[in-house]
Amino acid sequence: MERYLNKGIKQVIIEFPAVGSILDEYNIGCTLCGVGACLLKDIVEVHNLSPEEERELMGRISKVIYPDRVVEIPVTQRKNGGAGAGEVKYSPPMQGLVDEHTVIKRLLAMIPFIIEDMEVSRGEDRALVLGTVDFIRSYADRYHHAKEEDILFKEFDENLDIIKVFNEDHKIGRGHVKAVIEALETGDNRSIKEHLAGYRELLKGHIKREDEVLYPWMDRNLSTSQIGRLFAGFINVDEQFREVRAKQGAFVKTLEKKYKYEEVK
Amino acid sequence: MAFEGCPGSRMAHFQDKEAQDDTPAAKVKSQLRQWPVQLHLVSPLAPYYQGADVLLSADCVAYALGDFHTDYLKGKSLAIACPKLDAEQEIYVEKIKSLIEDAKINTLTILIMQVPCCSGLLRLAEVAAQSANRKVPIKYIIVGLQGEILQEAWV
Repeated sequence: MERYLNKGIKQVIIEFPAVGSILDEYNIGCTLCGVGACLLKDIVEVHNLSPEEERELMGRISKVIYPDRVVEIPVTQRKNGGAGAGEVKYSPPMQGLVDEHTVIKRLLAMIPFIIEDMEVSRGEDRALVLGTVDFIRSYADRYHHAKEEDILFKEFDENLDIIKVFNEDHKIGRGHVKAVIEALETGDNRSIKEHLAGYRELLKGHIKREDEVLYPWMDRNLSTSQIGRLFAGFINVDEQFREVRAKQGAFVKTLEKKYKYEEVK
Repeated sequence: MAFEGCPGSRMAHFQDKEAQDDTPAAKVKSQLRQWPVQLHLVSPLAPYYQGADVLLSADCVAYALGDFHTDYLKGKSLAIACPKLDAEQEIYVEKIKSLIEDAKINTLTILIMQVPCCSGLLRLAEVAAQSANRKVPIKYIIVGLQGEILQEAWV
C-alpha cells in the first residue's frame, strides 16, 4: 500500500478508475483536477477528513487496489486534528479572497449570455468581449490571482503539489485569455466563444476547489502571525486596486442589468 | 431549576484532578517576554507591542489552561484584565484601540473563560476595534473551567 500512498492521485485513478469514483463519493474532486499531482497519502490531510472517514475511505481504496488481501494502512499524521466535513469558517484574509470569488463567479455567470449569438464584427459585441477580457485581466488575474501568487502562496513551500495545481490553473486561464485576444484580432468568432467558455469552466472548478479545499487547508496550517501578515498584505493590495475594484464591480452590475440576471448570492 | 447564582462565582471542585497526572514532566519554561502585563499598567507604546501578535487574556485563563505558556503565550506580547472586577474599563477600550492604531499590532487574540461575564473582554476588544481606523484580525478562544478549549474562531 505504501507504494500507492506515495503515488500521484491521477496515476492511481488511471490504474484503478474505481478509486476516482470512491473519491467522488467523499466530494474529493480529484477526477476533475487538471493536474492530479497530489499524492494519495496527502488527500486525507488536504481534505481534512475525520479519522473515521479516513479509515473508511482508505479501507475502500485498499480493497480496490488489493482485492484479494487485507493490507495495513498507516494512519495519516496531521498537524491539526482532522475535524471532518462541516461548515467552513475562514480567517479574515481568506474570507476576503472568498468574497472576491463571489465577484468573479458573477462575471462567469454572464459569459454564456455574452457569447450566445455573439458576432465580433458588431461593435457592441466586441466591446462586451473586450470588457470581459479587461475584467479577467485586471480583477481576476492582476488583483486576485496576484494576491495568491505574490503573497499567499509565498507563506507555503511552492514546490508542494497542491500549490503547483492551483498555479497551473492560473497559467491555463491566462492561455485562454491570450487566445481570446488573438481571436479578436483575426475576427475568429468561434475561437472567442470556445476560449471564454473554456475559461468559465476552468475558473468554476478552480474557485470551488479553492473555497472548499485549498483555503481551509491553508487556514489549518497558517499560524496566527502569518494570518496577520497576510491580512496586512492584502489590505495594501486592496488599496492599490481600489479603482479596479470599483470599475469591475460596476461592469458586472451593468452586465447583470443588461441580461436581467439576478446577482449570484 | 433553583437559582444557583452567578456562574462566574459559583463554586466548583474538580476532585478527580487531585490524583491524576502525577508523573513528573519536564519543567515548562516561562514564555513571558515583558513586564508589566496588567492592562491598566501597560503602555501601548511599549516596544514589545510594536507590530506584535498580542494576547489579551482574562485573568483566570492562565490558571485553568495547563498549556498557557507553550501553546498560547509563546511568541506573543501579553495584556491581562478582568471584565467582571476591574474598574474604569473605558481606559481598556482606549488602550486596545491604541494597540491597533499606534502600536500597529499584527493580530489580537482574546483568551477568555466560559463564564458569561468573561465575554465582556471580547466585547471591549470589539468596541475598540470598531472605533479604530486600522483593522487587524481578531481571534477569540473560550476556555472551559477545567482547561479545555470550547471554541476558537476569528471575529
